[in-house]
Amino acid sequence: MTRFARSLPVIKRVVLFGFIAFACLPLVQMTLLSFVATLPTPDVSVGSLTFGNYSGIWQDPNLRAAFGNSIAYVVINILITVPVAIPAAYAFSRMSFLGDTHLFLAFIAFRITPPVVLTLPIFQLFSNLGIVNSVFGIALGHCLFNLPISIWILQGFISAVPKEMDETAFLDGYSRPQFIWRFLLPQIASGVAVTAFFCFMFSWVEVVFARILTTTNGKPISMAINALFGFRTDIGLVMAVTVASMLPGAVLLFAMRNHLSRGFKIGRV
Amino acid sequence: MKYRDNTGWIFVLPATLVLGLVGLIPLITVVNYSFFEIFILDTRYWIGTEWYAEIIGSDRFWASLGRSTLFSVLILFIQIPLGIAISLCIPRGRVWVGLTLALIALPLLVPWNMIPSLWLSLLDPDTGILGRMIPHIGWPADWKLSAPLTWLVLVAMDTWHWTSLVVILCYSALTTIPASYYQAAAIDGAGPWQVFRFIQLPKLYHVLLMAILLRFMDSFMIYTEAFPINAGGPNGASMFLAVDLGEEIKAFNYGPSAARSVLYFLIIVTVAWTFSKARNKLDPESAA
Repeated sequence: MTRFARSLPVIKRVVLFGFIAFACLPLVQMTLLSFVATLPTPDVSVGSLTFGNYSGIWQDPNLRAAFGNSIAYVVINILITVPVAIPAAYAFSRMSFLGDTHLFLAFIAFRITPPVVLTLPIFQLFSNLGIVNSVFGIALGHCLFNLPISIWILQGFISAVPKEMDETAFLDGYSRPQFIWRFLLPQIASGVAVTAFFCFMFSWVEVVFARILTTTNGKPISMAINALFGFRTDIGLVMAVTVASMLPGAVLLFAMRNHLSRGFKIGRV
Repeated sequence: MKYRDNTGWIFVLPATLVLGLVGLIPLITVVNYSFFEIFILDTRYWIGTEWYAEIIGSDRFWASLGRSTLFSVLILFIQIPLGIAISLCIPRGRVWVGLTLALIALPLLVPWNMIPSLWLSLLDPDTGILGRMIPHIGWPADWKLSAPLTWLVLVAMDTWHWTSLVVILCYSALTTIPASYYQAAAIDGAGPWQVFRFIQLPKLYHVLLMAILLRFMDSFMIYTEAFPINAGGPNGASMFLAVDLGEEIKAFNYGPSAARSVLYFLIIVTVAWTFSKARNKLDPESAA
């Protein structure tokens, strides 16, 4: 054992703690500010500790509605993405069909297309379809990046399931859709959970589609925060809303931590 | 072996339809607009490739392209090695892994439009944690006038925001390595570097390819986060490709913005194609 090898565990711990501190620093700043009064009000002086920002969220109907909208469009997005992605991931993992590589390439190309490139036509298309200013519009728009990434994640999980399972099921007289529903889904349940979590994560925080598709109605949290910026911005309230907006994700993240830590099989490893 | 079977199309049909609606149709619309002079959408004049010639011929476009490329390269050289290193540092015990991963992933949950605000308040000289400390090590109060310092903030911000994704992806690949590999390496007397080079790194290739693709494109087209930090300044030093496009869309310049979108999409397709080539190289047996 060299000296380097012996001191490695210590180095690892220091590096990890350093990185976690770096990751948390802006969040600590945000949380501190969210408890400080930043605009003068009759009963609290500027700079003093207060819970007023948090009660301010509850009292503002726009902010309450924004939380509802965000949850609604993320849930709709997951309900569209996951059922559509599962058969596609199955096909890419198990079957070889005409043009499959090109189709996969096209899907990947859509994932890496930044929303700003397609903002104008998507706005026009969605207004013709009558789904602007509604949570459906955002949910559908976010499929542009969530669907390819879901197919990719699920494909890794499905490829990890032994192919003998398919063949046994076919011999027993099950069709492919029956096999997917009765045998494959229970096997990849944690894969579906990880996929849904990633959809949530990318969709919850996105702002470009969220901005152009909600001009009057259906604004999600990120846009409600934007609306708080003005001539006299109550930065304490802004930070409190941001903290609150991270809570659902943090709860999900905590619930998902063992799925993530068990390692999810990605990209045929 | 895969089944050679064109019924596969039935399974990918729903996904193709959804992406056709939100991806392909808007893309065709953009290509169509890019050849017209459009004042209002009902009256338009065919002008051929004039918009393209104008964009390609402008110094501004090439300068933005250069800046975006430099930014992406910096991001990749920092975030990919850092992400691998952190994923190797994550402890083995069950409880700690979950907690560590949950803490590390927190930056991914911040709404994107709030990320610049968070960093600006962190650097605020009166109330920010960093802003009150760093003047002692020579950080000037007027850092917004300096292009290198603005870039430093942008790179630090993006590293903070996105390294976690690289860590999570790498960690997921590392956990698929069977314990017997490590035992065999220990018996052979392999040092930490050899374990990394010959056991861990090969398992990371696939995931790293995806991480590089995602990080490259997302930083290349950085939009929401970059502009508010310094409004593209000083002197346009932080004007990136997507910011230029965003400006034209806000001004409702249909033709030029469409031509720009098409050019950017061509870059995207090139990158995706390179990616799939690299992927097939890693994995010649199954091409999908």
